[in-house]
Amino acid sequence: MRLLVVILMALAYAASARAADDPSGVSHYGPSGDYAASARAADDPPPPHFTDFKAASGIAASYDGDWQFMVGGGVAAFDCAHDGRPSVLIAGGQSKAKFFRNLSKPGGVPKFELQASGLELESVIGAYPIDIDGDGEVDLVVLRIGEIDLMRGLGNCRFENANGLWGFQSQDAWWTAFSATWEKGQKWPTLAFGSYIDRSKDEPWGTCTQNLLYRPAEDKGEPQRRFTTPIPLAPSYCPLSMLFTDWNRSGAPSLRVTNDREYYEGGQEQMWRVPPGEPPRLYTEAEGWKYLRIWGMGIASYDLSGSGYPDYFLTSMADQKLQRVDRPGGGAPGKPGFTDIAFPKGVTAARPYAGGDMRPSTGWHAQFEDVTNSGLVDLFVAKGNVAEMKDFAAKDPSNLLMQRADGSFVEMGEKAGLVSFGQARGAALADFNLSGRVDVLVVNRNSPAQFWLNDTPALGHWIELQAVQDGANRNAISGWIELKVGDRVQRRELTIGGGHAGGQLTWVHFGLGEARQAEARVIWPDGTAEDWRPVESDAFYWMRRGEGPVRWTPRPD
Amino acid sequence: MCWRIWARVLFPLLAMQLIIGGFSALALADAVRPTPEAVLDTRYRLVLDLVRHTATYSPPVASRAFAYFGTIGYEATASGRTDLVTLAGQLHGLQSLPKREPGAAYDLAVVLDAALSSATRRFFDNTGPTGQRAMNSIDAKFTPTVIEGLPSDVVERSQAFGRDLTAAVSNWADGDGRNEIPNMGFPLEYKLKEGPEHWRPTSTIAQQQAPLLPDWGQTRTFAMPTGATCALPPPQTFATDKNSAFFKEAQEVEDTVLHLTPAQKEIARFWSDDPMLSTTPPGHWIQIALSISDKLELPIDKRADLLVRLGVATADAFIGCWQTKFEYETVRPLNYIRANIDPNFTPLLLTPPFPEYPSGHSTQSGAAAAVLTRFFGDNFAYEDSAHVNDGLPPRKFASFWAAADEAAVSRLYGGIHFRTAIERGLDQGRCVGRYANALITAK
Repeated sequence: MRLLVVILMALAYAASARAADDPSGVSHYGPSGDYAASARAADDPPPPHFTDFKAASGIAASYDGDWQFMVGGGVAAFDCAHDGRPSVLIAGGQSKAKFFRNLSKPGGVPKFELQASGLELESVIGAYPIDIDGDGEVDLVVLRIGEIDLMRGLGNCRFENANGLWGFQSQDAWWTAFSATWEKGQKWPTLAFGSYIDRSKDEPWGTCTQNLLYRPAEDKGEPQRRFTTPIPLAPSYCPLSMLFTDWNRSGAPSLRVTNDREYYEGGQEQMWRVPPGEPPRLYTEAEGWKYLRIWGMGIASYDLSGSGYPDYFLTSMADQKLQRVDRPGGGAPGKPGFTDIAFPKGVTAARPYAGGDMRPSTGWHAQFEDVTNSGLVDLFVAKGNVAEMKDFAAKDPSNLLMQRADGSFVEMGEKAGLVSFGQARGAALADFNLSGRVDVLVVNRNSPAQFWLNDTPALGHWIELQAVQDGANRNAISGWIELKVGDRVQRRELTIGGGHAGGQLTWVHFGLGEARQAEARVIWPDGTAEDWRPVESDAFYWMRRGEGPVRWTPRPD
Repeated sequence: MCWRIWARVLFPLLAMQLIIGGFSALALADAVRPTPEAVLDTRYRLVLDLVRHTATYSPPVASRAFAYFGTIGYEATASGRTDLVTLAGQLHGLQSLPKREPGAAYDLAVVLDAALSSATRRFFDNTGPTGQRAMNSIDAKFTPTVIEGLPSDVVERSQAFGRDLTAAVSNWADGDGRNEIPNMGFPLEYKLKEGPEHWRPTSTIAQQQAPLLPDWGQTRTFAMPTGATCALPPPQTFATDKNSAFFKEAQEVEDTVLHLTPAQKEIARFWSDDPMLSTTPPGHWIQIALSISDKLELPIDKRADLLVRLGVATADAFIGCWQTKFEYETVRPLNYIRANIDPNFTPLLLTPPFPEYPSGHSTQSGAAAAVLTRFFGDNFAYEDSAHVNDGLPPRKFASFWAAADEAAVSRLYGGIHFRTAIERGLDQGRCVGRYANALITAK
């Protein structure tokens, strides 16, 4: 008679993979325990490879500070020079934030240069790019300890504070989360902000400060290019990430909020219904919202199942979560109920996979990207101890979870050369050198940021797209970009928010595997779906409203 | 003996306001030296916060800390009294403790503050940055108010004695082998017992694929002779036959969960006492004890006596309970009901990641009720507002046993225990509580 052997470390990923075969939850922990990682090795994708460029990239930044900067450390990636290259703003904590202009040559070595931009702000937690005023120059929302700064893009990577210009009344708080959308019919965005704890308290447990929603102002019924007095999103439970997302494809995005249970009392994860023209209100248990309490730190979303509905990866301490909306009978989701599928998909990432530290992990920024251009999106999770928390891993490398053909994931951070033991916080995965490959930039707390160039040999083909429309909401936020190869559709919801204290406004990258051709389309925020249009592999396309894909070629310098 | 005989010392009004208002208020009132009672209360409230916010502090681990803190608080007090008896020689493994220097002046508030401060740092060394900040802050702001106006030699002598006392208790605590709680108490490998009657993981949380603290039942006990002293008979015989007692108990859980009334839901959530989201079940009873002590204005000797007995009782209760749990490793309702009654069964509460029989909350609530009933009497009515800050309204109880009964049945409402585990858990707690009550504190 055999006894079940639960070997959490050595077989965690094998167990996860096996579990993926059986969606019933508990019963898949069968009595044998004799499955081994090698049983799945044949199904594993070939590992990617990254090279750490350290300071050679030109990025020399660190998220510094003590207690007040134990969270945050975000990075924003955006094209402010109209050259297609994502430059970056890196939060500095108690040091000033730093802007690095991307001067990389297409397909060449990464090259960044520290430049004065007007973004050299103090006490910066993180930042998100967004074109607030629709002028085609990217703006920045900068989260700080103190006031939020809306930084208006002036062109050529220069910025100025526009709080006054845009009627934005910031409040003094520890700002840790942000998301934005354009509500139906609006030409001015709606901004949601999450704040953390009352930093003046010696014992700040239970002191979550208020989250706020800023909507477009009106004057005598006429829309204005400024914001209203903010609406409290009460109760507030110390969020570290929030995301406007259309979880049920209703056309009106809801606001998902992931909250840090370390500090709230009586709190839980939240999702706000934000109907246009109506006050926001929380989804309730009676409506199907399921009680979940985690150390919520980051949100990543992607339609992993091809159902048309996004899945949500929530970072936390120990087990991470991957939530899929409940769709009884396979139809449209009727209720805002989500089921955790992290274990069967192999993405709990509960403890380190390298370095020998057996204690539980701490997850921060998360992002879905296809790093091998296989056509299957992968998952990066930035990891790092909060600050000498002895019960959690000190050597806690970030994860690179590669997706298998069956939809499960396998850890390949070590094989990919991504192992590092800095206290990672924010990150940005983007094609920084316009090579068609997704690179990795990680911000570490109290140690230098790291840049890994994706130099994987024999990658698949790729396409990178950006949606753009005239006027307000130029980047089609809350719309969708879809790419079809044969019958299979990859899709990404266009969002601003999520991650951990930082986001990207740049090319949307898709891997094609062996395919050389595909079809692409945009579903615009108002629900208008463009026709599918052919696109060639290994190229960049602007997806202009009403015009279809327009190929773009990077300038050589 | 009735509490009213003891409740003879009236605190200055301001001191009480400080206690009620908590540490922040105390820090502001630098003109008033906190009383020993206020020191004990303030330090305990920090411990409760740290229990909630330190990842290793699952209920058994929390109960252990409360036993050691209780011992420190009691011995700090008893060491300066001729009418109180030391627990050295009564608690297992505690041979001797430092004594005060004869004829020398000590200040009890200072002794308590120094002893509990160093104990907090010792037991919560592993807490996170905010816990560390809180400990630093209370030492920096509260302690000066405790020593204010006292002769320096008295302060130094009292603080040294308090720290020595904690060092001695700490050495004693080292002997139970439970200082380190790796992986938050979940072993990296665990061999489960074969068969459908035995525990299986109840969640897809990777960490919880092995049960919490499987060898906790072998922990050195405090007052009870061993973890097996209050052993229970075997649980209901496992069966899937619809006429079997086991099936009927499972059906009762399923029916209860399916038809929960709002009042039952409220009860289940009130006593849920989840680790990392509350002060845990033993912390809940400590909160009750502190609240009543404040309301009755109990003097320090009675507070210290109550807290050590309560800490010892709940700690021994978890040891005894865990000894039984891992003797039988009984399946949880979730697994049984999904396999035999309703594949979609979902309990109201998250099923704790360890075997079912007996109910831990029942055992430790029974032990706590035994101590509190001996202390305050059979029909002591009180209001429990432990979870007000978490949005759960206060609940009124006619007696401690009424509260313990409700805590126990809450696990049925929550869908995480069968009735037998609940009822026998209370029996086990009653047995454990006798040993804590038998400790001799008064000459």
